[in-house]
Amino acid sequence: MDEKAKRTRELLASFYSTDPSAGGGAGVGSAASPRKMASPDSINSPSFDPDVYMSLLVQKLNLEGLLQKHVEMAAEIKNLDTDLQMLVYENYNKFINATDTIKRMKNNIVGMEANMEQLLAKITSVQSKSDLVNTSLFEKREHIEKLHRTRNLLRKVQFIYDLPTRLAKCIKAEAYADAVRFFIGSKPIFEAYGDSSFQDCKRASEEAIDLVIKNLQAKIYSDSEPIEARAEAVVLLKQLNFPVDSLKTKLLEKLEDYLMTLQDEHKETGASALDTLETSEPSDIGKLSDTILSLKTPTGTHMVSVGEVSKIIRAYLIIFPDSERRLIELIQELFTKRYGIIERRVKERMTSADILKMIRVIWEDVTLMDEVLAEAALPAFSLEAARSIIRQFISTSFSHLLLEVSEALAKSQPMPKKGSEESSLQNALEGSKKVVIQGSLDLLLEFRQLLDDNLELLAKLRDLIVDWVQEGFQGFFQKLDELFLALCGRGYIANPDSSVIDAIQVDKVQTGLVLVLAQLSVFIEQIAIPKIMEEIAASFSGGGARGYEHGPAFVPGEICRIFRSAGERFLLLYINMKTQKISILLKKRFTTPNWIKHKEPREVHMFVDLLLQELEAVGIEVRQILPQGLVRRHRHSDSTGSTNSSRSNPTREDKLTRTNTQRVRSQFLESHLAKLFEQKMEIFTKVQYTQESVISTVIKFCLKSLQEFVRLQTFNRSGFQQIQLDIEFLKNPLKEFVDDDAAIDFLLKEVIGAAHERCLDPIPLEAPILDKLISTKISKSREENQSSSLA
Amino acid sequence: MRGASTGIVYGGLKYQARCIADVKADTDHTSFLAGTLSLKEENEVHLIRLSPPGSELVCEGLFYHPNEIWDLKSCPFNPRIFSTVFTLGETYGASVWQIPELNGQSNAPQLEQLVSLNEHSFKIKCVLWWPSGKYDKLISIDEGNLFLWSIDASNKMAKVISQESVGMLHNLSGGAWDPHDRNAVAGICDSSLEFWDLRTMKKTSSIEQAHARDVEYNPKKQHLLVTAEDVSGIRLWDLRRPKFPVKELPGHAHWTWVIRHNPEYNELILSAGTDSTVNLWLAHPPGADDSISESPVDSPKRPKDSLLNSYTDYEDSVYGLAWSTREPSVFASLSYDGRVVVESVKSYIRK
Repeated sequence: MDEKAKRTRELLASFYSTDPSAGGGAGVGSAASPRKMASPDSINSPSFDPDVYMSLLVQKLNLEGLLQKHVEMAAEIKNLDTDLQMLVYENYNKFINATDTIKRMKNNIVGMEANMEQLLAKITSVQSKSDLVNTSLFEKREHIEKLHRTRNLLRKVQFIYDLPTRLAKCIKAEAYADAVRFFIGSKPIFEAYGDSSFQDCKRASEEAIDLVIKNLQAKIYSDSEPIEARAEAVVLLKQLNFPVDSLKTKLLEKLEDYLMTLQDEHKETGASALDTLETSEPSDIGKLSDTILSLKTPTGTHMVSVGEVSKIIRAYLIIFPDSERRLIELIQELFTKRYGIIERRVKERMTSADILKMIRVIWEDVTLMDEVLAEAALPAFSLEAARSIIRQFISTSFSHLLLEVSEALAKSQPMPKKGSEESSLQNALEGSKKVVIQGSLDLLLEFRQLLDDNLELLAKLRDLIVDWVQEGFQGFFQKLDELFLALCGRGYIANPDSSVIDAIQVDKVQTGLVLVLAQLSVFIEQIAIPKIMEEIAASFSGGGARGYEHGPAFVPGEICRIFRSAGERFLLLYINMKTQKISILLKKRFTTPNWIKHKEPREVHMFVDLLLQELEAVGIEVRQILPQGLVRRHRHSDSTGSTNSSRSNPTREDKLTRTNTQRVRSQFLESHLAKLFEQKMEIFTKVQYTQESVISTVIKFCLKSLQEFVRLQTFNRSGFQQIQLDIEFLKNPLKEFVDDDAAIDFLLKEVIGAAHERCLDPIPLEAPILDKLISTKISKSREENQSSSLA
Repeated sequence: MRGASTGIVYGGLKYQARCIADVKADTDHTSFLAGTLSLKEENEVHLIRLSPPGSELVCEGLFYHPNEIWDLKSCPFNPRIFSTVFTLGETYGASVWQIPELNGQSNAPQLEQLVSLNEHSFKIKCVLWWPSGKYDKLISIDEGNLFLWSIDASNKMAKVISQESVGMLHNLSGGAWDPHDRNAVAGICDSSLEFWDLRTMKKTSSIEQAHARDVEYNPKKQHLLVTAEDVSGIRLWDLRRPKFPVKELPGHAHWTWVIRHNPEYNELILSAGTDSTVNLWLAHPPGADDSISESPVDSPKRPKDSLLNSYTDYEDSVYGLAWSTREPSVFASLSYDGRVVVESVKSYIRK
């Protein structure tokens, strides 16, 4: 069906179309060639060859197919015939209609011609009549027009003659705008005829206008005039070609002067504030901030306030819209100077309340200014300034605190008299403890004020402040640690550039101070840091302006670690310094005499007195600073343990002796195995922060050193006996220092053992002689004590 | 504590002993010489050899030494030659000995005394060989003097070339010969380190405030040395800036007695002390570039420097310590009770 419809359409198209090849509708030239090539069985192609088609059909189809094709074709042909007939009929019909229309048109046109002729005649008559009227009225009209022109001219002349009086009237009525308008209106005339006919008139009006200009200038300069009027005056002056720029610069200069006085006053008030701060009580700080607040000059002759300045600036902005840049510069300069004053003041010590007051005052001014001069970006500028001020404030606060701590510690340095010496260490410790904790908490309180303040400026800095405070504490404690090190004479590592600290040498450092530092470090680690951490967590959490990858600025764990190790180091340093001192004593004792030619011992050697004196000194210092051990006798259990081990040794010895035939060697092993455990357990235990622990460690170290010194010598019998005597004497006084009898006994035995080993002829003193010599020494020292106490 | 022992123990020394030395010139074996310190008995020198699989210490030779040995150094170029410093009561002396040919019979042949250094009038402290190769000179240090000897081993002759007295106020107790400079020697005085130029026998410089017990030059880098001190533990110095130490290490609980650089990995430092421990430290010496430019501020804070290990398996103070030159990962230590312990530090050496 579709194919059939298509074919019909194509047929019709080819019928109407002028170009027979366009019948396909699609491509014209290009479509024809493929159609030629198209299969010969396509009956619609122009190159249709009936013979080929027939032969194809005959070849392709059987008889039945051919018959069917025949029927199809017959039907198709019949259809085409009917279509053709229909077309022919339709066309004929259209042709008939067209003929009818043409006939009707012809009839209508015939009547129209007569009407046209009539119309033409009428129009011609109208035209002739109108010409007549026109000529008759021409003369009069001409006259009237002339009169009218003259009148206008006269009016103008009148206006110009009236101009001076009119201007005068305007001046009187202060209607300067009208005056300027009139004058400008008549300006072209004056320019053309001013030198001839209107000379007088021109002069008079120019005089009037000069007056106007003068008045306008006065108006601009006068601050009492409303801004709008002044702005209008400027516009008018501009219209009169008056040099406005010079006016502007003059005005700006005036403003500059004005601001200068303002700044001077600031400086004055700032300076006077400093004076009051230095000379008077802290209660005057309120007064000081009042003066800053009101910004009044002391003389009071003219009120200068930022409010007024802002008004002026607003006026100027309206008057001279192009002066903005200069104004911004001026204002920024003003505020830079004011922040500069604060910044200078921050370098002194001041409370955050003061800072807040000052910043608030400036901020108020800034907001006032910002309303007027938003382009100056004053808030951003102030933010920057406040940022640096607060940062400076925080860092100076911390450095002041550091200074205070070092001052408190310095109190332990001078040791004037014996009476005050007792407590000076303790005072220094307590004082510095208080400074550290109280100072830190006070600082936190101060900084909290900064945070709690609702000033918009500070609210923006909140995170930064939190970070700064945390950073500040971190830095403070690190610096404190460095300070401690420096005070111990080890500071050269931390501060190689500081020549002052270089001067402190190890042997000049007060041992007491080292002890104070040790205890202070413990205090900081255990009490101060947790407390500060708590405070910080309570009110200084957050922050994070640093970025999370850095973590919080204040790392209490790290600080604790620093101070824990510092405390241990100081404690060890103290012990080392003390043992070193005693070591030198012992070294002298052992290197000076010729031990091989030693004479028989007659008395206890005096070095024991010196040794006991040193230990006494340690005791005094330690008792001031360190707490007593909680378990006073706990070391006893240790020592019994060690004696147990030495007691258990004989079984070991037996075993070894059996395998060893040499007696000497077995003795040798015996003595060494016996002391094996005790040495390690007793001497090199970890030092605790207690009086007992420190003293006993010092004593143990000294006895160990004594043993080592003995091992380096070779003794004759008398030398050995001298050592024996000295050691025997030391036994009791040492036990008064330490309650760890067993350890002392053991170490003293070690010393005698070492002397025994190093002696050519080790025969000990007999007990009665030993006792006698010791008792004489004891009574002698008692006498000395009595005599000294009597004296 | 003993259970943790990893070292190889040699228990052949019968008496107390202070001195052990690496036989540097023995390129075929890892061997050490140890000398005893017995006042009353006959003293011995043991030639101890680490058996090839490194599992056992064998006594390769045992020689009687007439007196107790306070110092023993092996000749750096001849494995059979060593020096000792000895005392007997009031007498003291220093000699250079030659180990006789063993020929299988190891039982106590006599040592052959090559030369005796007989010019000393004070107590002799130590004898020094130049550590870096063959050099026919020796230094001996007594309490008041420094001697430079010329040794002619074949003729058994020793001649004093020059001598320097430090004066009555000072007391020399030891020293070290710069391996990078034959003419530089360091001596330990009471409270300072003094440096001499052997050509002129004049002091060149000194390090004050150093109460050293032992001193050793860095074997790889010139100008650097390390001291062991009673109070300050271990300190590393740069001789170009002798005012302050380059580095400080805590040292030992009691005195740090002896200190030795590893001959190969000079950042490994071994120390031994009277607290009966041997400590192995990792301490990077300042490089040639940063020794001047870099401020000393951060060097002690460098986290790399640390105590690598503490060997606590000793029963008495450890006075003797020696790295093996042949096997730099092995060291021998000698405690006062005569026990030689050889340990390996292989696991601490970073490649």
